[in-house]
Order: sequence, then C-alpha cells, then structure tokens
Amino acid sequence: MGALQSASAHPEYGDLAEKTGFSIGKIRVLHKRFKQLSHNEETLRRDHLNDIPDLACNPIRAQIVEAFFDRRNYHQNGEGPVQEIGFEEFLVVMSHFRPPSLHMTEEQRENVRREKLRFLFNMHDTDNDGTITLEEYRHVVEELLSRSGALEKETAKSIADAAMLEVASISMGHMEPDEFYEGITFEHFLKLLHGFEIESKMNIHFLNMDTSTLCK
Amino acid sequence: MDDLWAVAVGVFQAWMFVVVFFIMLPAMCGLSLGVTSVYIQILVKILEWATLRIQRGRQEQPSVPVPLPNGIIERVGGSMEEEMAPAGAEFSLSDALFFYKEGVESIVDDQVTQRFSSEELASWNLLTRTNHNFRYISLRLTVIWGLGVFVRYGVLFPLRITLTVIGLSWLVIGTTLVGFLPESSVKTWLSELVHVTCYRICARGLSATVHYHNRDNRPQKGGICVSNHTTPIDVVILANDGCYAMVGQVHGGLMGVLQRSMVRSCPHVWFERSEMRDRHAVTNRLRAHVAAKNKLPILIFPEGTCINNTSVMMFKKGSFEIGGTIHPVAIKYDPRFGDAFWNSSKYNMVSYLLRMMTSWAIVVNVWYLPPMTIQEGEDAAQFANRVKSAVAHRGGLLDLDWDGGLKRGKVKDSLKEEQQKKYSSIITGQSNMDDPDSSSVTT
Repeated sequence: MGALQSASAHPEYGDLAEKTGFSIGKIRVLHKRFKQLSHNEETLRRDHLNDIPDLACNPIRAQIVEAFFDRRNYHQNGEGPVQEIGFEEFLVVMSHFRPPSLHMTEEQRENVRREKLRFLFNMHDTDNDGTITLEEYRHVVEELLSRSGALEKETAKSIADAAMLEVASISMGHMEPDEFYEGITFEHFLKLLHGFEIESKMNIHFLNMDTSTLCK
Repeated sequence: MDDLWAVAVGVFQAWMFVVVFFIMLPAMCGLSLGVTSVYIQILVKILEWATLRIQRGRQEQPSVPVPLPNGIIERVGGSMEEEMAPAGAEFSLSDALFFYKEGVESIVDDQVTQRFSSEELASWNLLTRTNHNFRYISLRLTVIWGLGVFVRYGVLFPLRITLTVIGLSWLVIGTTLVGFLPESSVKTWLSELVHVTCYRICARGLSATVHYHNRDNRPQKGGICVSNHTTPIDVVILANDGCYAMVGQVHGGLMGVLQRSMVRSCPHVWFERSEMRDRHAVTNRLRAHVAAKNKLPILIFPEGTCINNTSVMMFKKGSFEIGGTIHPVAIKYDPRFGDAFWNSSKYNMVSYLLRMMTSWAIVVNVWYLPPMTIQEGEDAAQFANRVKSAVAHRGGLLDLDWDGGLKRGKVKDSLKEEQQKKYSSIITGQSNMDDPDSSSVTT
C-alpha cells in the first residue's frame, strides 16, 4: 500500500544533494517533475521536453533543450551531445539556475558567476570550439528575431554584425583592416558581461518546501 | 436452506423499501430528508481532525514530504519589456538570458501539463487514491481510514449502485412511454418531469450535494448554456435544476440506448460521427434548434475535453458562432470529498464511475451567470474569451488561454512565433535609428 512506505525510499538523494547543492525536499519535487515529463520512464529524451506547451512558444527552445543534452554542462569535463539523460544529469543542469545561498564568500560567489556564465557561453558556442564565432552569434539573433517574419533576414544579420563589431572593439581595441576577429572566447565573454548581475538574474526561485515552515 | 432463503428475501425487501421510500421518492419530488447534509457535516469534522493530525505528524517526522498544490516555483521577474528595456537599445548577449530563464522555468513547472491530472490536495482526505505524498502518521488515523473504507465500499456503494440502476432504467422506460404520446404541452411537461426525476435519482446515486447560486439567471428556452467541463457527471449536476437539450455524438451500447430513448420524448441533438467532421453541418443544426424558440436550451461544453477543475482552458469558438443568447455557468467541485475529474487516458468510463461511487460524496457549487450576447465589432473568438473569463472569475478558477486539445496534440505553429514577434518589436522599436531600412513594426 503506497500510503505506508517508509520515508527513506531514496538514499541516493543524499549524494545528489551534495553534488548539486539542492535540498532533499527540492530534489524530491524535481524528481516527481522528471517522472511527469518522461512519462515515468527512467530517461528523458529531447521530444519529452519538446512536448511542453509553454516551452514550444519560446524562440530559443532548441538551444534550451540542447543545453540539457550537452555533456559540457555535466561538470565532468565531457563534450558532445547525448541522446537521453537520467535524473542526475537533469539535476546537474538545473543546478546552474539555483539561487546563490546567502552566506557565500567572495570567492564562492565568483565561482558561481563563472559557472553560470560558462553555461550561457556553452549555449551560444554550439560547435564547442571555445569561441562564439560570428556565424554562431548570427544564428542566435536569427532564432530570436527573424523567423516570425517581423524582421527581414538581412536586418537580423546586420543587427548581429553590428553587435559583433562592438564586441570586437571592446575586447580587441583597435583592429588593423586585415586582422580577422575570430570570435568571442570565454575570457572575452567574461569581460563583456562583467557588470551584468548574472547571479541574481539567472535564478529560479523555488517555493519553500522545507517542513520547518509548517510549525505554527 | 429455506430459512436462509426466506431471510435473504426479507432483507432484500427491507432494503428496497428503505431505498424507495426514503431516498427515491423524496428525491423525485426534489425534497431531502436532510440525511446527506448531516453526513457531510460529520465528514467535514472528521477531515478537519485528520488534517490537524497529519500536520502534527509532519512536525514530528521531518522527512515526510510537503504537498505543493500551487506549483513548484515562484515566477519572479518582470515581463519581457521590463527586463530588456534598461539594458539599452541594442541587442545584447544577455537578452537571450531572459528567454533561457523562461524556458527552464517552463521545464520545471508549466501551467498546462498539470491541468490534465488530478489536483493535488493540500491535505489528505482519507482516500487512498489522493494519497500522493502522505506517509504513515498514526494508528488512529489508519483506523479512521479503515472505517472509511468499510463505510464507503460496504454501505454506500451498494446503495449508490441500486439508485443508479433504478434511475437509468426509469429514464429509458419513462422516456419511451412519453414518446408514444402525440406532440402537445402535456407531452413536454411529462418529458421534463421524467428527465428531472431521473437525474435527481442519479444525483442521489452519487451522493451529490449541489448548491445552486443565482437561480434567476437560469438558462431560458432558445438559449445556449455553456459551462466548464470536468467530468461527464457535469450533465447530471446541471440537469438536476432544469431541462436541457444535450449535444453529442451517437454512441453504441448502453449510451446509445439512453440516447435513443431520450430523443423520443424531447429533441436532443445527436450527431453521427461523419457529421461531426463537417463544422458547417453541425453549426446549422444547432442554429436551427436555437431558432425554434420553444425548444430547450442547448448544453455545450466549449473546452472540448475534461480539465481538472483548477482552471478554465480556451473555449472553442464554434459554439459561439451559432448566435442566440449565451447563458454561462460555472461549476466548481469541492475536492475534499472526492476527485471528480475524469482522466480519460487513465480510467475508462466504468472504472471512473466506480471511483465516483466509492468517494465520500460529491459537493458542487454551481453559479448561473447573467446572459451574454456577442457585441458589435467582436468576433467569435473574442466573445468566447470574454465568456471564459467571466466563468473563471465566478468559479474561482484560473483563466488560461491554452487549448484543452493540448491534452492530446501539440502547440500550433502560429503560437510559437508570438514571442519572437514581441521581442522583435522591442528591438526594432528601439533601434529604429540604426536601421532605417528595417520593416515597419507591427504590434
């Protein structure tokens, strides 16, 4: 009878909690969501995520879904895409969006920033060569802007080119006419988004699930 | 052996006596002996006690999980315009972050997928079927639960089955008999009587307690009644308080028998499967029915599918193109007493009805809203949305724009481009000075 199971049915939550920093309560809720999305299978595939109606309306849904299947985001120094993921990988990718805890040293905060920026960088750098080239950048702009036809493809391209030029001038200073700007490396990326408060913007606020709040 | 037989017959006779005189006859007359309301009050007291016990149990055992009926995440942060505008007029890398965050938030918790499964309760109502998260708390609670099982399956269930069988057979027999009469006002009156009494018996068969509000707004003849859809029982609930012309597909089997006999006594609108595909044929038939002002109001569920009664999804505009006055109705089930939602992918009709008959009870609130008509310059889709908001507002349900058809299908491509268009207009609106050749912005 499902009602009378003991509470410690999932000892591996402890390991996951240590690895990702989520509390046991949050891991339990996310596991339920994982099972709901994968229709109770052990692994999640791309088409499971593509079934979510809210996500279907997002212009960069392809990149978002890819991020879950990209080994670079699993903190194991792997590379390349996978076809299906288990709950552990799901949780590790989710942990990039965990809000920073209140008691963090400056160094820890800097690490969190770097991690989140690395995640954002990986999303743009689709061929995994360590730089965001003009092509890749244009691709993102197109996804965001022009497919609906509200903007001409040419206009989207020129917006991307203009932005790229500005990036180049910020990172490289003045360029000779025959110098070729290869692309935005991760270091440039960090420099560009230096003032940007990514640790507060790239967060998902989970509703408080700890039982301690029930005590009146 | 004979004695046993005599005893069995005696018990059966006593049982039928109780059922007929104490339940069926008062039900047919619309009276109530008050037993059900006393039962509900006792039930509420027990459930409140159970809730306190569970909360105490949670404090003592911190590993017991907490249910989250309102969703997992809190969506902080502004809309697209607020997030982007301060960053400057140019496209910047961080703009994409807004969409990433939204996307991942949808993966964690979205508004639509949860509508197609039963609502998660904030506290257990002593039915195993709603027990998603609750663990063993105390002996007393388990004893009460066991008692509840006995009462529900041993006492209430046979009673309810008997009543439903009587009710449905009465419907078939009664309508067939009335069908032999020639067309006259007597026939109409008799047919309404038969329908209403039968539905009242069926409602007793589910231990349904219905609270009707604003009864002066009840749908009139020649009108169209629209309502949110949770379960096939909605029909029984609404028909307890008035006579409606039903709309639906012709079925075989038991449903077919019911449909054929019902249509003998008063005009319902049953469609063949082939007719359903032709939207114009459907609309024309309904229009003809409405135009004959003395026919019963049509009952339509514009969502097209069962939703779990926490929200109202898109009303399909077909029902609103017929013309005539629309009488909206909001139905809200009280989830503490039983989960009325029919998850057709999980349960078929028979197991669903069995579940209904072994719940505690069905407690419903029905609000009749004032009639609405299509206004100047409004098209059917906008009118449908207006009615939907009114229904959602009255019933305390969430008003969603999503299509109930998403239960089984995918999002239409046109919707996918909405967000892109919105973002494009923000960017080009601000950087108009940089690109004088850009196409004009449409909002």
